[in-house]
Amino acid sequence: MREPTFLILTALADGPRHGYGIVQEVATLSEQRVNLLTGTLYTALDRLTAEGLVAHDHDETVDGRRRRYYRLTPAGLTALSAQAARLRQLATAAETRLRATRPRPA
Amino acid sequence: MPNDGAPLIRRYRRLLLTYPRAYRRERGDELLDTLRDAARPGRTRPTVREAVNLIGHGLRCRLGRPASRTVVVWAVLTAVVWGLFGAAAATRVAWETARPLPDPVAARAVLSGVFPEHEIGVIEPAPALFLIYGQPLSWEALPSLLFFDGGEYGPAAVGTGVTGHPPIDPDEIVARTRQRLRDGGWQVADPLVRNAVDCPDGRCDPTNLTTLVAQRGDTILTVEVSSRTTVQDTYLWVALTRAAPLAVHPAAMAGGLLGAAIAWLVFGWASRRTEGRSVVRVTVTMLFGLALVLWWLPVLLTVPGLLRHHRTEAHPTPHPLWEWLGQPAGSLLFVVGCAAALLGLALATLPRRQPALHVGQRSATPAG
Repeated sequence: MREPTFLILTALADGPRHGYGIVQEVATLSEQRVNLLTGTLYTALDRLTAEGLVAHDHDETVDGRRRRYYRLTPAGLTALSAQAARLRQLATAAETRLRATRPRPA
Repeated sequence: MPNDGAPLIRRYRRLLLTYPRAYRRERGDELLDTLRDAARPGRTRPTVREAVNLIGHGLRCRLGRPASRTVVVWAVLTAVVWGLFGAAAATRVAWETARPLPDPVAARAVLSGVFPEHEIGVIEPAPALFLIYGQPLSWEALPSLLFFDGGEYGPAAVGTGVTGHPPIDPDEIVARTRQRLRDGGWQVADPLVRNAVDCPDGRCDPTNLTTLVAQRGDTILTVEVSSRTTVQDTYLWVALTRAAPLAVHPAAMAGGLLGAAIAWLVFGWASRRTEGRSVVRVTVTMLFGLALVLWWLPVLLTVPGLLRHHRTEAHPTPHPLWEWLGQPAGSLLFVVGCAAALLGLALATLPRRQPALHVGQRSATPAG
């Protein structure tokens, strides 16, 4: 799973969001490192929808503009959990190695 | 604060034209809202990064099948090969802007000036710039063209051979010819000397052929001098051909872009149209796969050999683009490929049993 995909799924983990909401949340999650462009976002949403990981949730009208909200599906939740576990295991392994090579304070 | 400036929205809308119409109808406003929300206040133009992103993803969206990772590869292969075919067809059309080859009188005048001590024989006129078996392309030549004799279609030349004892030594012929050509304002490439026959076992015919290629304006002169000098042998061949006209380059660019764009749109249309229809999708995929193999095969078989040939011989004007694509030598493969692709497109036009929307669109449909 690529980083933008992981971040989009993570952005939807705590509840449905609309397109720009996902962009903002991804920027926050990545500490402004990942700035999702609109084309990239909707291609990813289409793909994740086709894969059954994301689904349309509901629409809201704000200032006369219809906002479409997306949510994680159960399959999306499972995929995100599995990827988070994998990244955690890798991060733990890296930290362990780094601790072993780091010089101990005198 | 969102920027709702009309010029920016108008420009975003223009960029969204790269997305398919049905997708724009369903999701266009949503994309526009997200773009507007993400834009900094006061901006009137999309950034270059945004424009490239929207064009790229819009073109991807035209292929449908959002979960597929291979559809882009197939679309690129189709667009590239049709870009090349489009460029080749356009160059052939652009060749029509070239001047006709010199008639026998004009050719004799040129050749007599370069080879005054040789007896220039009969010079036949060239009926066209490109010939197949000495004749312009016609319906009668179609069987030859289709059934693997298409390699005979090539640029015409006006020239002749000179037979008998040469009045001067072959090396001297080459040296004088080079000098006269230079004096006459021709650009002369270095002479290329090769054996008259291939000798894989190392025991060669000692006859050498020296080739001189020169260009002046849009005329190319090719001279071959043989080291074999007997009464019955031809020791000198001369041929005048035309250089590619200038219009060939812009035509190739325009034809290439047009061919690639049309191929991408047609491929995307068929891909979206067959989405979610398993039997039709598999059949059309197989037909397109076959077409791609038949279109690419002559290209892949031809390019390495032609590259080697270009590296070893002087070419003031490169071989026409269609020859690089293995055409019309492989025209039968091309035609069968086109037939397979057309059959696939015809299957894609079959009406659906029930309306099935794009997967992305389905997701966009308001839930229950």
